[in-house]
Amino acid sequence: MRLAVPTSRPLSRLTETRLLFWVAAITVTGFFTVALALGQGLDGNAFIVPTAFLVIAFVVHAALAMRGLRGDQIMLPVSLGLTGIGLIVIYRVTAGTDAASLLTLQLAWFVVAMAAFLLPLFVPRDLSLLSRYKYTWMTFGLLLLVATVVRGEEINGARIWFRLGPLSFTPWELVKIVLVVFLAAYLDEYREVIASRRGIWRVLPPPPYLVPIVAMAFAAMFILAFEKDIGATLVFFGIFLAMLYLGTGRATYVVAGVAILIPAAYVVYRLYAHVQLRVEMWQNPWQDALGSGYQILHGLFSLGNGGLLGAGLGAGDPQSIPVVWSDFVFAAFAEETGFIGALALLAMYLVLLYRGFSIAIAAPTTFLQLLAAGLTFVIGMQTLVIVAGNAKLIPLTGITLPFVAYGGSSLVTNFLSIGLLLRISAESRT
Amino acid sequence: MSANIRHLAATLSVLFLLVSLGVGYWQIVQGDELSSDPYNPRLYSEAAKRERGRIVDRDGVVLARTDASGDSFKRVYTGALYEPYVGYATLAFGAAGLEATYASSLIGEDPADPLGAIRRRYLGERAPPGSVRLALSAKLVDAAARSLGQRKGAVIALDPRTGEILASVSFPRYDPNPLTDASTQRAAFDALNNDQGKPLLDRAVMGLYPPGSTFKLVTGAAAVELGLDPNKKVPIDSPWKGDPSWGNYAVPSPINFHGEYDLRQAYAYSENIYFAMAAVNIVHGDRLADYAKRFMIGQSLGLDGPYAKTQLSNSGQLDRPTLVAATGFGQGELLISPLQMVLITSAVAENGVMPTPHYALDVRDGAGKVVRTIQPGPLAQPIRSDTAKLIAADMVYAVEGPNAFAYPAAISGIHVAGKTGTAENPQGSPHGWFVGFAPADNPTIAVAVVIENAQNGGLDAATVGGQVMRSWLGK
Repeated sequence: MRLAVPTSRPLSRLTETRLLFWVAAITVTGFFTVALALGQGLDGNAFIVPTAFLVIAFVVHAALAMRGLRGDQIMLPVSLGLTGIGLIVIYRVTAGTDAASLLTLQLAWFVVAMAAFLLPLFVPRDLSLLSRYKYTWMTFGLLLLVATVVRGEEINGARIWFRLGPLSFTPWELVKIVLVVFLAAYLDEYREVIASRRGIWRVLPPPPYLVPIVAMAFAAMFILAFEKDIGATLVFFGIFLAMLYLGTGRATYVVAGVAILIPAAYVVYRLYAHVQLRVEMWQNPWQDALGSGYQILHGLFSLGNGGLLGAGLGAGDPQSIPVVWSDFVFAAFAEETGFIGALALLAMYLVLLYRGFSIAIAAPTTFLQLLAAGLTFVIGMQTLVIVAGNAKLIPLTGITLPFVAYGGSSLVTNFLSIGLLLRISAESRT
Repeated sequence: MSANIRHLAATLSVLFLLVSLGVGYWQIVQGDELSSDPYNPRLYSEAAKRERGRIVDRDGVVLARTDASGDSFKRVYTGALYEPYVGYATLAFGAAGLEATYASSLIGEDPADPLGAIRRRYLGERAPPGSVRLALSAKLVDAAARSLGQRKGAVIALDPRTGEILASVSFPRYDPNPLTDASTQRAAFDALNNDQGKPLLDRAVMGLYPPGSTFKLVTGAAAVELGLDPNKKVPIDSPWKGDPSWGNYAVPSPINFHGEYDLRQAYAYSENIYFAMAAVNIVHGDRLADYAKRFMIGQSLGLDGPYAKTQLSNSGQLDRPTLVAATGFGQGELLISPLQMVLITSAVAENGVMPTPHYALDVRDGAGKVVRTIQPGPLAQPIRSDTAKLIAADMVYAVEGPNAFAYPAAISGIHVAGKTGTAENPQGSPHGWFVGFAPADNPTIAVAVVIENAQNGGLDAATVGGQVMRSWLGK
């Protein structure tokens, strides 16, 4: 393995530059359209926020180009495009309301996110330190989760928040990256043993190799269930099964995992009143339309108002959905840009997934292959869970739409993933 | 490894496709349904920005309007008298009643005028809003409300030929105006929802009561069509224990009668035993259930507003002889609304044809041009024309016969058809019922009245019913 970030001659990232101009065009047009439609004027946030966002984006791009970083030039512009769309939607639903300060907060988080993005590209000389210290990372992750249980704050029935001054942050967002790193490293080391059938009943792998990985994954999920965060538990379980499949290629593990999940989900359903409420409201939000079904119902109204072509940016009523900026940004965007816009947004995620999995396939080592595929999967799965929740296909959870939804910890860790993927891409042979 | 990655990527792609279809379902397939949902605030947020259409009665009396105050608009209701069915339209709690049913019409997006909706939406045109004209007569509502007074209950009157609802009154009712005022709406809404008198419940269409003897219209019609000889005198010996297997159950006679009645007398003196015998011996449980269904009990009634579905029995069937007997004279497990009863009465009045009930007559655009006429037509034909004529004649005798129970409904100069009911119920003293129509030979109004825990049972209800019909006919 190479010991430093491979570079080529400076100023070679022209595709990225070109795509960033599209990001700039979309962001500026979006902000101006919303500002005009809402009668907010082109001063203040409508001017400052997109300008600051784009200046930072181009500075980061310039840093990569100056460094002469090789590798993928699609992922950064696409994720920045999604972030820009997120800022437009947050501006649109908060302008002129009590929540207007969320826009500048999100911009501040974006600065932190860019630092997190650059971290894996500039700092470590060698990514293998991730696999070498896998137990350290995982212990750190579990401690972070336990600390949340002990010191965290409960918001909306789930105790997943840490408050630092004015900013609250959700540790599990970072822990899911740690889990991917740990699983990638562990499977890299033991995947052949785990894929074998020489252990229990000649079906399962030998216990000494199976137990640690299952224990780690279930410890994380148990703590999350204790924190009453069902969405995060679901994503963790998904990560676990996906990584296991990637490492071993055995679909029976996935089937067995789902077979365990169903009774476990039933137990959780019986134990927690707020889970039962969420499921009931998912099945029929109309039965308590002014109470617990209010949010999901107004999300549906928002989708319905969009139709094929959308109400137009600034011309819908998405601000009628409570906490629209974190749980229902997708519905808000789909209302104002229509089904066409919703499909375009989902297509942007598919581009990210396509690039991420391509990077995984081309990655130089098995560990990096697993890591890249796992990180890509996390972005894809979160998108699916929240969009399906908005469309009432599954019960709504607190998962946020990657890059678009308001939420600092989510933005930071998603850009950390993109940074890692770019680094892996740069290390690949092609 | 690469193969595994490709499989995972393919799985995610399929899931993305499924989720896209789910989003498309709500955006494209369900779009119209969602946009007219009563809880959708988009139907009312317009009201704050511009004028929302008026709701007027059949003579043009304004029941709901929008007043301008500075830059904003406020919904104003003429009074509590037309609640709960006119309903309310608020941004905070959605809408109820006709404000909900005709919400899109009132903001100028009536489904019959799709071009108007498109012009408004894509070209931002601010055409004056449409209005909805009801079949309701404010004068008749006034008369019915005065007649019912402060007694809990409901009155509903309709034109049996067309199904137009001429008057509807439910007590207790509420004043919707505090609900549209930002400073009072939360307190008012909570108070309404916690009110023990349930003023939000429209007893005329959502109140479910045992119908008592008014249900004998159904039993009698079924029996006649299934072979009952209306002129045959049937011996009655109160109380009637049909069969030893009934145990302690016995059908009581309202006047502890011993003697013999034909159908006409059984209606006039509301003889439970006569109808219980007809139900058990001639109609039988399965066919009584069939006739109840033909009279649309437990079925959708097509009303252009909220209403409750009625029930024949807890299980939907009549499988025990005692239940058949009890249902035969309107007790058992029957739960019927005044709306259902006035429709059954209308079918008797109109030669067996039941009309589809409707509140609204037409929807007009801002210029006053009619964009949609509401004429739903007949709902069902539960019985034959000759059966209906026979029952109608017996109902006239039930008002005009010597010492007949429904005498307070009589109007001098015309024939009135009627039937009282006194319904035993678990909540206390019996509910009083009356159903009727007039003029009997050419009916223009049918009415159903229920008074909860009435002092004099059906007598009180017949008095109210008579006054309402008299007021409509100008006598």
